[in-house]
Amino acid sequence: MSATPASASTPLDRRNARVGAIALLAALAMLALGFAAVPLYRLFCQVTGFGGTTQRATEAQASLAALLGQQAGAPRISVRFDGSVARDVPWTFAPERTTQTVRIGQRDMAFYVARNNASVPVTGTATFNVEPEQAGRYFQKVQCFCFTEQTLHPGQEVRMPVLFYIDPAALDDPNMKGVEQITLSYTFHKSLTAPQ
Amino acid sequence: MATTAETFQAHHGDHAHHDADHKPGFFARWFMSTNHKDIGTLYLIFAIFAGIVGGAISGIMRMELMHPGIQYLGWWVNFMGGEAGFDQNLHLWNVLITAHGLIMVFFMVMPAMIGGFGNWFVPLMIGAPDMAFPRMNNISFWLTFVAFCSLMFSTFVPGGTGNGAGTGWTVYAPLSTTGSQGPAVDFAIFALHLAGAASIMGAINFITTIFNMRAPGMTLHKMPLFVWSVLVTAFLLLLALPVLAAAITMLLTDRNFGTTFFDPAGGGDPVLYQHLFWFFGHPEVYIMILPGFGMISQIVATFSRKPVFGYLGMAYAMVAIGFVGFIVWAHHMYTVGLDVNTKMYFTAATMVIAVPTGVKIFSWIATMWGGSLEFKSPMVWALGFIFLFTIGGVTGVVLANGGIDDNLHDTYYVVAHFHYVLSMGAVFSLFAGFYYWFPKMSGRWHSELLSHLHFWTFFIGVNVIFFPMHFLGVQGMPRRYPDFTPAYSYFNEMASYGYMIMAGSMLIFFVNIGYALFAGRKAEGNYWGEGATTLEWTLPSPPPYHQFETLPVITEANDYHNHLPAGERPANA
Amino acid sequence: MMPLCAAMLLATAPQVALGQAAAAPTAAATAAPAGPGAAAATPAPSATPAEPADDVVTASGPEAAGADPTAAASATAPAGSYTPLGPDMIKGQPIDGRINFQDQYSPNGQYALWMHNAVLMPIITLISLFVLALLLWVVMRYRRGANPVASKTSHNTLIEVIWTGLPVLILLGIAIPSISLLAKQYESAPEDAVTIKVTGYQWYWGYTYPDNGGFEVISNMLPEADALAAGEPAQLAVDKRMVVPAGEWLRIQTTAADVIHSFAVPSLWFKLDAVPGRLNEKRLFIKEPGIYYGQCSELCGVRHGYMPIAVEALPRAQWEAWVRTQPGGTVGAPEPAAAAAPAPAATAAALPAGAVSAETPGMDAAQREGETVAETPTT
Repeated sequence: MSATPASASTPLDRRNARVGAIALLAALAMLALGFAAVPLYRLFCQVTGFGGTTQRATEAQASLAALLGQQAGAPRISVRFDGSVARDVPWTFAPERTTQTVRIGQRDMAFYVARNNASVPVTGTATFNVEPEQAGRYFQKVQCFCFTEQTLHPGQEVRMPVLFYIDPAALDDPNMKGVEQITLSYTFHKSLTAPQ
Repeated sequence: MATTAETFQAHHGDHAHHDADHKPGFFARWFMSTNHKDIGTLYLIFAIFAGIVGGAISGIMRMELMHPGIQYLGWWVNFMGGEAGFDQNLHLWNVLITAHGLIMVFFMVMPAMIGGFGNWFVPLMIGAPDMAFPRMNNISFWLTFVAFCSLMFSTFVPGGTGNGAGTGWTVYAPLSTTGSQGPAVDFAIFALHLAGAASIMGAINFITTIFNMRAPGMTLHKMPLFVWSVLVTAFLLLLALPVLAAAITMLLTDRNFGTTFFDPAGGGDPVLYQHLFWFFGHPEVYIMILPGFGMISQIVATFSRKPVFGYLGMAYAMVAIGFVGFIVWAHHMYTVGLDVNTKMYFTAATMVIAVPTGVKIFSWIATMWGGSLEFKSPMVWALGFIFLFTIGGVTGVVLANGGIDDNLHDTYYVVAHFHYVLSMGAVFSLFAGFYYWFPKMSGRWHSELLSHLHFWTFFIGVNVIFFPMHFLGVQGMPRRYPDFTPAYSYFNEMASYGYMIMAGSMLIFFVNIGYALFAGRKAEGNYWGEGATTLEWTLPSPPPYHQFETLPVITEANDYHNHLPAGERPANA
Repeated sequence: MMPLCAAMLLATAPQVALGQAAAAPTAAATAAPAGPGAAAATPAPSATPAEPADDVVTASGPEAAGADPTAAASATAPAGSYTPLGPDMIKGQPIDGRINFQDQYSPNGQYALWMHNAVLMPIITLISLFVLALLLWVVMRYRRGANPVASKTSHNTLIEVIWTGLPVLILLGIAIPSISLLAKQYESAPEDAVTIKVTGYQWYWGYTYPDNGGFEVISNMLPEADALAAGEPAQLAVDKRMVVPAGEWLRIQTTAADVIHSFAVPSLWFKLDAVPGRLNEKRLFIKEPGIYYGQCSELCGVRHGYMPIAVEALPRAQWEAWVRTQPGGTVGAPEPAAAAAPAPAATAAALPAGAVSAETPGMDAAQREGETVAETPTT
């Protein structure tokens, strides 16, 4: 930092403008980062399973996992299913079975039952996470009703499947030690995009 | 040491006589001001006014909390033009806590610290004639003013159950989106936008001023610590506030334009709002306290007649606090459902902050060690600050532990903690700075007797208010409750008595200002004498309207700050 | 695999439906005077009890499947042994004028309390007193009268290294128990832990027991007069408590239906936010039977202060009896094939309750056994 000859005002003004502009750019960059946080956070959760975010897997990956699990002689683990509805959704929504025991790596199918108790059609969309949160990165969904919106007509009752498996990589994760049960939770909200 | 003040008298002698004191007319001077001292004065007056409003709100809250049950809220609902009812009364409570928090943070502490003292003394201390962007400085102030008006206006428009925004100063979604109908929350968010924009402009101004307009010879490592503190604060503002702006903009669009950034119904995540808010919110608490650190450093050095101990350590401790402040935010969200590794990380990172903070506390004490201490009012406030901030700091270490916080989160322990660091930390440093510089700014002396009286009554008052809150907190009393089970009566009543002491103390403060303005004797240029060595003391009190038309020159021989090791210092220093 | 699913579906699904259908109207009726009705007892002139009441009625819409113990108990339960615990069993509550934590009734709470009292408090007290002593010393020793000429010392590398390094060591000393406390708090609940799903609503709590028939208990605050009449603290007492077994692991899951709430019980060192759209989970162990009060701990709107939590921990046998009084309440759901399966049964396994009852002071199990359901007070 050299001393500033402030008496020469024009060069100082220019220097001020430059520093000021750099500072403004930094502020704008942080503003952009603030907005970018929304997709970045979602991406971060999807990649790392942060917050108990589940993963999506293809059939091929599922088959591979099944093979790996078999080779490793993977043990079984209990999976709990939980269903909630937001206050403005007039549905009854619950898993058919509260818990299921699956072999790690093995595909399994679970069903939820949803019923529209209202006299008008209602479109819902589901959010989901698993607990404990460190299980998120190992909870692989092959098919899920939560991937799309669901419309139920008055009084209609549907069974909604979720096809999933637990990634055998969980066996190598020290954070998964002692996890005896993984809870998969869904909450149905009223869809904001679909006409109600 | 420190004969430099006299050295520099020569400089102001050059310009004190002719047009340096030529002032524009009243309207142009106060409404279109581009003078850093006038803008600083405006900020200070504004902050005092906002402080009265925010303090009065806490008075209503302490009155209501003195006894269990809802006693007074209905009256205040009617007073505010609403219609009292059970839910309306409770809504008013939420409006009060929201307004108290927002006013004290955005319209009292920040304007006073950065806008007031920062504007007044950063140019003076670095030997600059004014701020780098004087017009932008003016815009900053008036944006802050309009922001305050917007927040005040929000309390008179519907915000759900009653008038006003009842979301808490954190404005968490979804309570602030789907949970609060009506325009009040929009106006409150708009107020935050304006105040944020004002602060970002102020930050740009300070950064540019400090980087470009230091007097010849004043390297970064010779800047007074107050200037250092404002520089670090400006960077925090610059990097943190835009994130808040983004977050609350998304809140606004969620509320009004059907977006779902934080609404799970559209795939958003309310927890993300908390991450964004606290990414801003944690640096924000350092924004509120760092300039206070700077002022305390100046004051302790002045009244010890010693240079600040460990100057570089002090400066870089603030840089470290600022940096670490950006990576600890989730300790405000320990109970939101974080996984264990995240919580362990934030526990460890948060505790790290105690290290640079400890360096500062011990350096202040070491500055006094071996000094020749004079207990003028600023020094007394500074001593109070050091002790009370330490208490606030150690309870912060308790709260840093994620496992302990599971019980204390959102209880009065947290309220006690942050009032110890802010209501006693930041506010004590504000009063210390005020008494330190008031004669410099106004040219007139306050009463030292009243200042000391103000200190002791305030010291007792705030401790009686906030110390019992630790006990309420460990007993489990949650924050933001207008009513409580009778088992919390004892300490709530005590806290309310403490408020009365504190309110009485503030009367002394206002009497003191009135006395100073109307009957105070004139203050000379360097009224604190030998220990006051920074550049503002080379000027008369009040300083001329335009100062440093001939720039002061700082050389090794008259290094005003004199923080070189004793052996390396020139013989004449 | 699939036959097991079917068996369990048969066992549980109808009961869920029954619970939803049968309980709602009665729940609404009994819940009506609850919650902020306390206002009636406060001096607030404009607070009318009628107003909060109809709000609660709306709240108990289709989604709020409540439960009325009296109605359900007389219909389904055998002459059981459940009686709500009386005020003599209140263990977790604030005490006026007390300056330390509430007594802790969970192992993690006791460990955390130890950490606070034995590690943190001494350290922060000593640091505060040390700083105070240093300040007093410099004020005495270095005041102008005693030390007219200031020294010029402004550096001492050694002492700067010490006061940077020493706090680091102290913090490390704190970090070790702190990290271990976190690790304990985050251990997963065992598979057979009793699961309770806590749902935060504006402004009451719902407690669902998914392993016990899926019924939901709607819990509203008791009006002040009712609370005092029952010998319970005002603003903490509720009409229907969250009843859990003591002496065994619980899996507490929280979520919310509208805005964020926070489920907090100070005497169990438990606090977990209830966030709409996601489920949070923590395990909990209550060492002895008793009543433990808590309050919502995240600002959730106007009646944030009026949605208390009351956890009633009972010995296993009494808890099972309580479950059977609930609409569709089952214990150890019939899953006969599951026992033969390689994995243990997923539903709550019956644990020996004797150990729990043994350490139950002030509770005469035999006497409670003798009481009939008809006498069960409903508060």
